Amino acid sequence: MIRDVRIVSSRFGLANSHRLSTVLMRGAYDSLPIHLKRPPEQIVRAVDESGLRGKGGGGAPAGEKWKLMPRNSDTPSYLVVNCDESEPGTFKDREIITRDPHLLIEGMILTSYAIGANHAYIYIRGEYKSFELILRRAVDEAYEAGFLGRDIAGSGFDLDITIHRGGGAYICGEKSALLESLEGKRGHPRLKPKGKEPEWYFGAPALVNNVETIASVPYIVMNGARCYRQFGTAQSPGTLLFSLSGHIERPGIYEAEFGVSMMEYIERFGGGVKGKKKLKGVIPGGISTPILTAEEAARATLDYESLRTLGSSLGTGGMIVLSSEADMHGVLKNILGFYRHESCGQCTPCREGTSWSDQIASRMLRGEATMKDLDKLLELADTMNGKTICVFAPAVSGVILSIIDKFRDEFTERLRP
Amino acid sequence: MSFAFSPENLGKIEKLRSRYPSPKALTLPLLWLVQEQEGYIPGEAFDAIAEITTWSPMDIYKSASFYTMLRFEPAGKYHIKICRSLSCTLCGQAMLYRHLREKLGIKAGETTADGRFTIERVECLGSCGTAPAMQINDIYYEELNTLKLDTILENLP
Amino acid sequence: MSKVKITVDGRVIEADDGALLIEVLLANGVDIPHFCYHEALGPDGNCRMCMVKLQGAKRPQIACDTFVCDGMEVSLKDPEIRTTVQRILELELINHPIDCPTCDQAGECRLQDYYMEYGLYDSSFENYQKIHHAKHTDLGSNVMLDQERCVLCARCTRFTSNITKTNELGIIGRGDEAHVSTMPGKTLDNPYAMNIIDLCPVGALTSRDFRFARRVWFLGSAPSVCHGCDRGCNITIDHDRPKNGTETIYRFRPRKNERINGHFICDAGRLSYREHNENRQLQIIREGQSIGREEALEAFEQMIGSQKRIMILADANLYNEDLRAIKWYAKEIGALLFVPLESYRDESFGDDWLRSSMRAANARGVENMGINREVSGGYDIDVLINFNHPTPHMIAAGEFIEFQTHQSTNADLIFPLAMFSEYGGTLTNRDNITQDCMQAVNPSGMSLSAQEWVKLLPRRS
Repeated sequence: MIRDVRIVSSRFGLANSHRLSTVLMRGAYDSLPIHLKRPPEQIVRAVDESGLRGKGGGGAPAGEKWKLMPRNSDTPSYLVVNCDESEPGTFKDREIITRDPHLLIEGMILTSYAIGANHAYIYIRGEYKSFELILRRAVDEAYEAGFLGRDIAGSGFDLDITIHRGGGAYICGEKSALLESLEGKRGHPRLKPKGKEPEWYFGAPALVNNVETIASVPYIVMNGARCYRQFGTAQSPGTLLFSLSGHIERPGIYEAEFGVSMMEYIERFGGGVKGKKKLKGVIPGGISTPILTAEEAARATLDYESLRTLGSSLGTGGMIVLSSEADMHGVLKNILGFYRHESCGQCTPCREGTSWSDQIASRMLRGEATMKDLDKLLELADTMNGKTICVFAPAVSGVILSIIDKFRDEFTERLRP
Repeated sequence: MSFAFSPENLGKIEKLRSRYPSPKALTLPLLWLVQEQEGYIPGEAFDAIAEITTWSPMDIYKSASFYTMLRFEPAGKYHIKICRSLSCTLCGQAMLYRHLREKLGIKAGETTADGRFTIERVECLGSCGTAPAMQINDIYYEELNTLKLDTILENLP
Repeated sequence: MSKVKITVDGRVIEADDGALLIEVLLANGVDIPHFCYHEALGPDGNCRMCMVKLQGAKRPQIACDTFVCDGMEVSLKDPEIRTTVQRILELELINHPIDCPTCDQAGECRLQDYYMEYGLYDSSFENYQKIHHAKHTDLGSNVMLDQERCVLCARCTRFTSNITKTNELGIIGRGDEAHVSTMPGKTLDNPYAMNIIDLCPVGALTSRDFRFARRVWFLGSAPSVCHGCDRGCNITIDHDRPKNGTETIYRFRPRKNERINGHFICDAGRLSYREHNENRQLQIIREGQSIGREEALEAFEQMIGSQKRIMILADANLYNEDLRAIKWYAKEIGALLFVPLESYRDESFGDDWLRSSMRAANARGVENMGINREVSGGYDIDVLINFNHPTPHMIAAGEFIEFQTHQSTNADLIFPLAMFSEYGGTLTNRDNITQDCMQAVNPSGMSLSAQEWVKLLPRRS
């Protein structure tokens, strides 16, 4: 039985939930007067102990990243909120910024205070212009009410928030590419550092976290780590705005604890597969996560560990449901077309690998491919895995391998001799 | 041809400057201002942006060419961006696109002769839960079907 | 910096702790494939060709983003690495037009080299629709771009952004549409632009000047020093002797010298090879008539006479050995010797990198030899003997004897002089570094070097 838990979406149902006047009466910014007087280290510790994991797809423990930020340094630090949500199947950050933007802002204030940042950026994808306007209005309201700017809530803490609009590039959701873009450059992911260190924005340490991660902070700060850990599993504590799209009766986002059964979630919130068709598979967390067969989906629980055990990943929790109607040739071609369009083009294996594999998928879709083409596709998937600067190409690799492997008969049937 | 920021935009730029540790960060905000002002990004604007950001004009050109929402040529009055990613595809975007193509007599990437419509097929708009979806300029239209599409187009001013 | 030991396929190599692995490998003669890394430009990490296996690492790593530490075990010969490199190379080639027979880069192309090394013979791109890009684009400054041959290593764009800081080139577009370009309506335009032709590891950037001129494997080479100014940039002279036995010079290329020019030369110096082939003085001429050497030397003896006042001018581009011989000869015949340096000064040429406004390769050598560098005061001269100094007419003399490389003056007696490519010698650059220049081709026509002419010249009777 799925418990009804709302940590991030608790105010989503209110009329005009995006307005300060609405949410002020429902607890918004209540954390500030008390918690901006605590030693910042305590907030970092609370987040660390809560086990909060990055909700943008990677699932890395947020506390680990926060602890990398230098204390009492002479140079400024920055918080950068990743609202470049572009992973097909994912539309949760959009819900937060339009339905409870003040929760995000409150989270940003607490986070900035904890890491010693006085300026925070929200990098929002360019397509979200109309949602950005709602978020901007919320930021303006927060400034007017004294929750942003100088001496927030009498704490002596200053914070500015700047919204930065992206220009249409999926790869800018990768944190180092996002920072490159925020520095005014092409969004090319950076070479990774050898040791543990923060990200860098114009040479200053920067913390990059997803919208939902930051929106979870007020709850943790207010209620404590232990309270957050009541929900979810030991290794995946808390909740996620899981979402459903594709062949599903009621698509949408529904917050749930980590660890609930995938099929139960699909049935309970999504009303089951569209048209009562047979389930063919589920892409568990945005198209970059390897597909699950119906049989695997039946065994899956919605947490990082379960999906990893099944050879996939929880990703963003944006499930794409495929019914027996789905043509896997079409699915593969669609996904590879996306990657070809979105590869930044920096590394050879990714630039040429996504292009070539998209071509092969087209040939397979048209029934023009032979076994040699299929073998080539699998070889390309291998070449794209683990040989590039960022994880874009490895994700493409995993997607190809999982789709071909799990629906192999469907693909071999259409091959020419 | 020459390009100059409007006085109103020059005011906005002054405000933007104080929001970033380096003027270099202004590349995208300024490219957007140019596109909003001109409807596209004329080549002459690279120099103007370079001067403010302290990047070279080539750096600005490189960046501008990286982001697919930035245009080097004007689009139609109504720029229809129809999502072609997976969830919208599973919910029938191909049919919508076909309908649109027949109705307007143009393919993706083209603009009608009267300059009224441009069709573009774009990647995920973040409307997977309300698929299939499209944007006209910056406005979202979701849970579409051909009937709804007709009504939307007919009601455009 | 402390030294550490690493092993590379069993071979022990000593290196500085924390040094970049690819630099250590290259410095020790390990042939590691790479496109984007270049000593002068540093690593970029985009081509992914320099894959190595590191003991303990799960996946292959790129050597241009790996720093050595003590005990590091590196393998390039590991089968997994060879397969990886082979496949990445195949990806570099999928959109390549495979037009080696008409490509000037053939013979010095990394794609070709690696193709052979990694045995891609049975790779096939059948059914693959190549992504087409612009061909034969004239970028300006004698540089031609064939985008279909490009591997997007960004060496050229990094050169214009980081080295010349002129920013004419950039990678435009994204994914498989990415390509090298100038700004719309602009060209590549800086005095060092042609270096990107050498930097380009493949045939994407070629010289319009050298286009379709010769297959590179037919060319012979000799190390020398550019004579365009007193910087002393090291060059390689490429000539046609091996194939055709002719004395034609086809190009100058920069030759690495960390102390002087790094990896580069300016375009003016690069293109100055043309002077070796054009408008050369080939005959001995007296009053417009070609004559033999014996006759000419007799005429020379008569002209200098026994009592005449003689002045000798010499070119500050001559080798130290030439100048020494001329100096000795001037003393022997009691002539005044001048090498006026002001004639070579060109402030518009100099810059803060390689180009010096003193456009004479051996100005410092002249100085070191204590030769008079300006003609001061009035001299009453009967005979002027000029060894190729560019402005002999500043001196008024009754008779005029000229040793010249190019047809220029109408002296009473003209001897053809060899160019620096036609014999060996030393030059001393502005920083007092003396460098060797090797002979590349044979002297043209009847020309001899200044030192050889001096040996033949008669003394005064």
